[in-house]
Amino acid sequence: MNIIVLIKQVPDTTDVKINPKTGNLIREGIPTIMNPYDMHALEEALRIKDKSGGKVTAITMGPPQAIDVMQEALAVGADTGILLTDEAFAGADTLATAYTLGRCIEKIGKYDLIICGLQAIDGDTAQVGPQVAEYLDIAQITYVRKIHISEKKLIAERIIEDGYEIIECNLPALITVIKEINKPRYPKINKVIDACSEAADIIIWNAGDIDAAEDKTGLTGSPTQVKQIFTPEHKRKGEMLTGTPDSIAKQLLDRLRGKKLIRN
Amino acid sequence: MKPEELLRKTISRFVDNELIPAAREIDEKDEFPYDMFRKLGALGAYSIRYPKEYGGANANNTMFCIMCEELARGSMAVAAFTAMQCLMGTNFIFRYGTDEHKKKFFIPAIKGEKVVAFALTEPEAGTDLFGGVRTIAQKVGDGYILNGMKTWITNAPYADCFTVLCQTDKAKGVKGLNFFLVEKGMPGLSISPKFSKLGTHGTDISEIAFENCHIPLENQLGADGRGISNLTAILAEIRTMTAALSLGLARAAFDASVQYAKERVQFGKPIGKFQAIQLKIGTMATEIEASKHLLYHTTKLLDEGKQCMKEASMAKYFISEVACRAADEATRIFGAYAYSMEYPVQRFYRDTRFLLYGGGTSEILQTIIAKEVGL
Repeated sequence: MNIIVLIKQVPDTTDVKINPKTGNLIREGIPTIMNPYDMHALEEALRIKDKSGGKVTAITMGPPQAIDVMQEALAVGADTGILLTDEAFAGADTLATAYTLGRCIEKIGKYDLIICGLQAIDGDTAQVGPQVAEYLDIAQITYVRKIHISEKKLIAERIIEDGYEIIECNLPALITVIKEINKPRYPKINKVIDACSEAADIIIWNAGDIDAAEDKTGLTGSPTQVKQIFTPEHKRKGEMLTGTPDSIAKQLLDRLRGKKLIRN
Repeated sequence: MKPEELLRKTISRFVDNELIPAAREIDEKDEFPYDMFRKLGALGAYSIRYPKEYGGANANNTMFCIMCEELARGSMAVAAFTAMQCLMGTNFIFRYGTDEHKKKFFIPAIKGEKVVAFALTEPEAGTDLFGGVRTIAQKVGDGYILNGMKTWITNAPYADCFTVLCQTDKAKGVKGLNFFLVEKGMPGLSISPKFSKLGTHGTDISEIAFENCHIPLENQLGADGRGISNLTAILAEIRTMTAALSLGLARAAFDASVQYAKERVQFGKPIGKFQAIQLKIGTMATEIEASKHLLYHTTKLLDEGKQCMKEASMAKYFISEVACRAADEATRIFGAYAYSMEYPVQRFYRDTRFLLYGGGTSEILQTIIAKEVGL
């Protein structure tokens, strides 16, 4: 089975800062990670491969430094990584991103299943996966918590507000997965070092390599117009207490006593 | 990204998600954590320094020390047995053992299936190691007969084999010292119950004794008379590794202190807003930063194959003392809570003492450094 996993490099923070002049995310100085949902997507692909063989190809679109997440994917067990990077891809909305990823998948040609994380933790749109499926005109199942594959059929448990539904579709198909689907494995140390070597199987493609139409990629190909972007103001600040249950209880009592809300 | 970066990221994720949540229980149970031992085996931790044909990563000293540093940030006990398994416990079997020894002990050890130990210290041979070894290996027709005692042996209660330093010919002095492989269960080998000790709970230490313990000829590890030079060949690596463990523990104490200084409110504001606490945090941060530079400067020299006993001794001496100071300051920042077993600071404080002895005490290292600079 040939499985493709779509991966995004995202900032490693929940405290996203926005440049008020340009309205863009401030990425300088913020460490990056593989989008956590995508780690579950990759794990699911590797589990299928462990069980029934095949090939796992990881794809990411991003600036040249996004090669880091391809190295991580290879370290965990992906066979090949493809980095789509080109100035023409910059500023893409979800539709232009889905087009670019879709063109890359068409170029790869042979695939049975595409697995994506539910959403990226920076944009939180959850749109790219479904848009790639639409572009490729294949079945899609989102919010997947469990899958079963037999012959050319995929059966998936998809969570809904008050439970889950079981959906069956033909392959090839695209699924987006939630974190509950699995626990991502740790890469083995020797694979970590191999993945960072020059011999690692990472391909770098630009717009020309995937025959992407200029008016469909990047900012030019993005129908979404961002009117305003801002950081919501937190007027009341929450505080998370950490530690063992006993120590949390003590800390809480200290605070309540400190504010004279309870007596000693 | 460089392999060093991805390695640190990988180990750090393992430490945050697997080791830190388990560290308190490992400490309180004070039993060898087989589950964690096997998890680290599956990660490939014990084979990190060894060639790819054995399933290893062929990593350099910089990468090995990154792993040690990160593990020590989570649990000194776990970092200690891992370092033993990676370096002292397996080095001599790998370099000087027969194919059979490798098959039986080295390969299972680096997979995390067997535990190995390294026996140098004796009741009369601590800092005066080379002059004090009384464990005798007497050559007989088909092998050696061992008599004597070793103490402070990490992993001894559950080790499957031991690399043991013995005197084969007293008249030859240091040149009579040789290493031997002794298997668990060999007649004449006895292992004491584990010591009751201050820190690194979860990594057991005990004595081992030999009473007419017969071992085959091929269990001599290394050419005759080369025991000490073979040990000296990895001494700088051992000291640098201990420096890495120290840095990890210093960081753990520092991270806990910063978090607590932000959370603990007194006089209407977090205590980190007071200069008394800021002075401590500022000093800790600076000493840790200096430690990083000294440690990874030394690993670079090791990786380039340069002589660096001076730097390795400095790194072990300086950074183990930094860890002691960091843990001490952490106990002051935490106030009475540091005295409570609820918080990990008391564990950091206890575990720092482990760092002061292995690889040379601070005092002996200071004299070595003094000699290195010309005294």
